[in-house]
Amino acid sequence: MAVFVDLNIRQTSDKNLLRKTIEIAAHLGYSTIAVNYVIEFQDKKQNFIKPIPVNDLFNSLPIVQGKSKPIRVLNRLTVVVSDAVQCIELRATSPHIRLYDIVAVLPKTEKLFHTACMTLDVDIICITVTEKQPFHFRRPPVSGAIERGIFFEIIYSHATKDSTMRRYTISNSLSLMQICKGKNVVLSSGAEKPLELRGPYDIANLGLLFGLSEGDAKAAVSTNCRAVILHGETRKTAMGVVYTMKKNQTLLDKEEDEVTHPLSKRMKT
Amino acid sequence: MQSTGGHPKYLLCEISFASPNGWQHVEEKKLHRSILEAIQKAHGDFGVACCAVSFAVKYLNTYTGILLLRCRKAHYRLLWSTLAFIHQLGKKETCAITCIHVGGTIRTCQKFLIGYNRQQLLRKLPTCKSEAERTALQEAVRSCTLQEDVVSASEEDSN
Repeated sequence: MAVFVDLNIRQTSDKNLLRKTIEIAAHLGYSTIAVNYVIEFQDKKQNFIKPIPVNDLFNSLPIVQGKSKPIRVLNRLTVVVSDAVQCIELRATSPHIRLYDIVAVLPKTEKLFHTACMTLDVDIICITVTEKQPFHFRRPPVSGAIERGIFFEIIYSHATKDSTMRRYTISNSLSLMQICKGKNVVLSSGAEKPLELRGPYDIANLGLLFGLSEGDAKAAVSTNCRAVILHGETRKTAMGVVYTMKKNQTLLDKEEDEVTHPLSKRMKT
Repeated sequence: MQSTGGHPKYLLCEISFASPNGWQHVEEKKLHRSILEAIQKAHGDFGVACCAVSFAVKYLNTYTGILLLRCRKAHYRLLWSTLAFIHQLGKKETCAITCIHVGGTIRTCQKFLIGYNRQQLLRKLPTCKSEAERTALQEAVRSCTLQEDVVSASEEDSN
């Protein structure tokens, strides 16, 4: 059976709220969630936020409903790009990117959408759901993205809150579905509060309103998300086959190292 | 139960409120009305007409937050998608409704609910603080059987 994944839980400075949200996600039956850190380059020197290690949040992770395993928590970075210069930060060699498991991009213009689909090294391209789609989707970039294994993300939490947002979410996603035919789509919550989350089967049903078929809608909350996570892993490894680490450092040492030093410091040395 | 013709579907749902005060105003009739209003908002007159044919709130347990809805089989997906859009009930009480099971008869829903409530008890087990609490919980898990009424089985959960 496929496991359910929610790739977008908004990071908040309130740790208790985040902890509660992750607990509810485990209760609803999500096996993996990703905590989303959003960066907008409005002022030029916006600093990258370091992801909070999971150990800070939980002593023991909550157990997933219907399974005996604890929930898996990933870190995800979303960069809102409105200028081509900002894409430089998204190179794979950038030290900031290496801290995150998944990298997503929210392009604001058609030209940036094209570069995001064709050249940028990202896992997810977000679709705006809070306003009318500023540009039309065209077939070449979308099919290019599908070929490269990049997924499009639709966020549903805005749709539950407000009726205008609901219209934008549904019409934007329908216009995407017309081009991508239900392939390479992930549905995720974008929840800040625990009660903005919905169960995975509810979302699969909601996918029908977004123009997905029944099978595609279920894949959008399970297998497609797994593909995104694996795509993110290929960035850290050589095509997902070879993984390098320092010579006299076994896996056990590495884990100990992770506990004693924060991840960011270790990477620089 | 009056026969409405056609095959029904039963949606077993779980309601969660942001604050415990939210439960004060929840009763079957009010819930029935507010869900119909939500369908009107999401799917318009057509949606209400489709769902209203045999729509009913069959069971409501405010202790465990369990709700059982009946709907025509042909249109239950309309109702289901509306439930996901509900974020408020009554007077500005934030809530979320998640569907945990879809069944063809009340009996299958009852079977599922007993299993589900037993699972919730088991999930509470690691958080027990004293030994007495632990044995009481284990006893409660053992007493969950199909012969018992759903109400009694689910009320144990709230203890």
